[in-house]
Amino acid sequence: MFFWKRKKSQGDNLKEDKKKNELPIHRQTTVEMIEMLKKHFQHSNDLMYRHLKDHQIVLVYIQEITDADKINQNVISPIQNLDSKHLSNEVLMESINVGGIKSTNDFEEVIQSITTGWALVYLSKKNSGILVEVGKLRERALSRPENETNVYGPQIAFSEALSTNKALIRENLHNPKLCIEDLLVGKVSRTKVALFYIEGISNEENVNTMRQRIQDLEFDSVFDAANLVQLIEDNSMTIFPQLMLTERPDRLGHELSQGKVGVVIDGSSYAIMGPTTFLSFFQTTEDYYVRWTMGTFIRLVRFLATIMSIFFTPLYVLAVTFHYEIIPSDLLVQLGQTRSKVPFPPILEALFLEFTIELLREAGARLPTKVGQTMGIVGGIVIGQAAVQAGFTSNILIIIVAISALGSFTAPNYMMGNAIRIIRFPIIILAGLYGGFGVGFSIVFLSVHLLRLSSLGRPYFYPLFPFRIKEFKDTFIRMPFPKLAKRPDYNDTKDEGRFNQHRANKKKDIDE
Amino acid sequence: MDINIRPKPYLLFNAFHLIFIIFSIQVGVGLPGFQRIIVMESGHDAWISVIVAGIAAHLVVMVMIATLNRYGSADLYGIHQDIFGKWLGSIINTVFIAYLVLSTTVVFRAYIEIVQVWLFPELPVWSMAIFGGLLAIYAVLGGIRVVVGVSVLSVLFTLWMIFLLYFPIQYAEWKSLLPIFDTSTLDILKGAYKMSFTLAGFEILYYIYPYVKEKEKTSLFTHLGLLATNLLNLIIMVVSLVYFSEGQLLKTIWATLSMFKIIQLPFMERFEIIAISLWMLVILPNAILPLWAATRGMKRVFGFKQKYSLHGIVIIIFIAQMLLKTRDQVNMFFDWFSNKGFYLVFIYPFILYVLVLVVQKMRQKRGLASNETKAPSNKSSN
Repeated sequence: MFFWKRKKSQGDNLKEDKKKNELPIHRQTTVEMIEMLKKHFQHSNDLMYRHLKDHQIVLVYIQEITDADKINQNVISPIQNLDSKHLSNEVLMESINVGGIKSTNDFEEVIQSITTGWALVYLSKKNSGILVEVGKLRERALSRPENETNVYGPQIAFSEALSTNKALIRENLHNPKLCIEDLLVGKVSRTKVALFYIEGISNEENVNTMRQRIQDLEFDSVFDAANLVQLIEDNSMTIFPQLMLTERPDRLGHELSQGKVGVVIDGSSYAIMGPTTFLSFFQTTEDYYVRWTMGTFIRLVRFLATIMSIFFTPLYVLAVTFHYEIIPSDLLVQLGQTRSKVPFPPILEALFLEFTIELLREAGARLPTKVGQTMGIVGGIVIGQAAVQAGFTSNILIIIVAISALGSFTAPNYMMGNAIRIIRFPIIILAGLYGGFGVGFSIVFLSVHLLRLSSLGRPYFYPLFPFRIKEFKDTFIRMPFPKLAKRPDYNDTKDEGRFNQHRANKKKDIDE
Repeated sequence: MDINIRPKPYLLFNAFHLIFIIFSIQVGVGLPGFQRIIVMESGHDAWISVIVAGIAAHLVVMVMIATLNRYGSADLYGIHQDIFGKWLGSIINTVFIAYLVLSTTVVFRAYIEIVQVWLFPELPVWSMAIFGGLLAIYAVLGGIRVVVGVSVLSVLFTLWMIFLLYFPIQYAEWKSLLPIFDTSTLDILKGAYKMSFTLAGFEILYYIYPYVKEKEKTSLFTHLGLLATNLLNLIIMVVSLVYFSEGQLLKTIWATLSMFKIIQLPFMERFEIIAISLWMLVILPNAILPLWAATRGMKRVFGFKQKYSLHGIVIIIFIAQMLLKTRDQVNMFFDWFSNKGFYLVFIYPFILYVLVLVVQKMRQKRGLASNETKAPSNKSSN
């Protein structure tokens, strides 16, 4: 499960290394300081330094990741205007016109800060240096969500910059109780990670578990949320995702307000949230933006589509291979006619067509959009028509496979959609080999498997087990808001009331 | 071995899950074909036998809960240890472990029999036994929570099959229930006795009781679960009696499945094939709850780790299934098992209750503080 834990000996060595590196800054001259820094940066070319005030002050930064204008106007020019005789750290800190400024004597922190776009201002023979935030943010404009599109609701997605994402969450939740903790992940990549939760709502156990898992992580480099999520999941030997990824700030905001814990990682346009149940992968924020009747309807459609997507093709295979008596005779005649030309056993026929659909999907995902349109023609017309005419597959199977492919795309979460498409293949094979017994086995196996999974240590197949019929109103269906007075029991929130249900549901008499 | 066990809090489950546990462990391989056996004894009054047997089961559960209440949080193994002492207690515990292992064997073997008759006559026993064994190992390795979860899902995913009874009811001949009380009381009681194989399973309460979170609600939810099973048995029995003629029912081995056979929908017929395929989910709790209880017993009595004894027991079950080759052998074994099971499940709880009462009274008289057994020991064991 936590495979990085096995390599504990390596990790211990690293921690010792870290201790050796912990040099306090101690009354160096500016030249000594530069030498020390150069050594730590392996004499890297992009490390810039500049002496000011007759070698009394040195300014060190990395050119490419800092803003030259900020350095010139807000750091260098105020320092140059100072009186050379009365220099001290206090005077420097007052004169520099930058908001992000701190004083430190930890050399390790100095190095870490310089790599993330801060500049060091060091006054000769002092015990501490001043760190000034002069980073340049390289980011693209905010765009619409690509993978979680909604008709209603805000059309904005996370971007790659951590600070922008933090801002987006703050804009959703203007609440002083929103806690943001900064963590560092990856021995090589040193990626910044922010942990989000709302104090007073989120369960502390969940927050601690999430923080613990990120802190204990000993992996060399983590570049994306999708990367991190695989490292902190409960169980990696499964195809089901156990923590949710979302690119919608409103979704994260909503889930945070319901007591979940969020994680945003620098360089990724996805946020992680948890704990998550299996069923929540079939919900979207849109369910709450449309009226509850519609929300309930689309949720039910999604569940039905998922079940169909998993079991439709296996049912065809088992019926045509072994138990054709379950098909009514009228239908059986039609089926027999279309299948009469097909020379393959049903299992091969089904696997061939399912594989073709997977090919189309994968090719469509890799091709640029302009070429992508041809995929539809090639897939739909050429392969579909020609395969039937050539006697490779039956018409009915094409309909079934197309419906189950569509069904798997209704899962609002890409990871879950993938999982659904993959588990279909073993079930088809079992249906072809063992008929109804094989399909029964796979249903039972999936049930047991889902029961065994957990998300941040909480049951994954909630609310089916532990069975909570009260929670059905916001899982399988979506009741109107006056009925959703309590936060999900699953998150085990400190404060479970969303509003005063009593006041909201006060009944009036007629004509009052 | 401690008499009382205090499982860690996260292993406990809410008391209302007992409804699912009791229901799912009672509904199993008995249900598809219990009608013929009862009707053989009590004719068209078989439904009265079902009610009588149901009431008997309620009585037994009352006694079981009364026994368990005399201890704080003990299971059957602990109670035996307390009453019979170390040596005799261990021997009796071994008998009960053997019974649990046999009941798992019976469940798997009966299901294989159904699959062979209805779906795949050629499919060898060993291949299905391997599938079943792997599932059982995978589920029990998840611990008590997964085992209870399987019971819940088993009920939720298969309860819809009750509505399939609507189709045979359309052809019902209600007059075949008349005249009521035509059969002699003795025959009705004989029929009720034959119900014991179908009703057995609730004795699992003896083993899972320490894992119930709200112990004071155990009685309520166990009886509710039992009531649900009894109602289901009664409904199926009545529908079978009005759908089949008595002579026909005597010749139909799996009457419930035969009733599913007639269902015709525009897109699907012969629902018994779907039902048998899904029946694996119905029988899995019947197999893994006793299996789990047996591994607990191996740990409590002999100190084996549950992980290891589980694999050993599953291998034994696998071999036992292979040994039962022909239909006659299977039938003989089931008859033998259900006869012995009757005494262990329906008679023994009364004996145990009396013994517990007597022993505890004697201790009180002898001046031994009774709260030594009653009060929970602070020492916890998982």
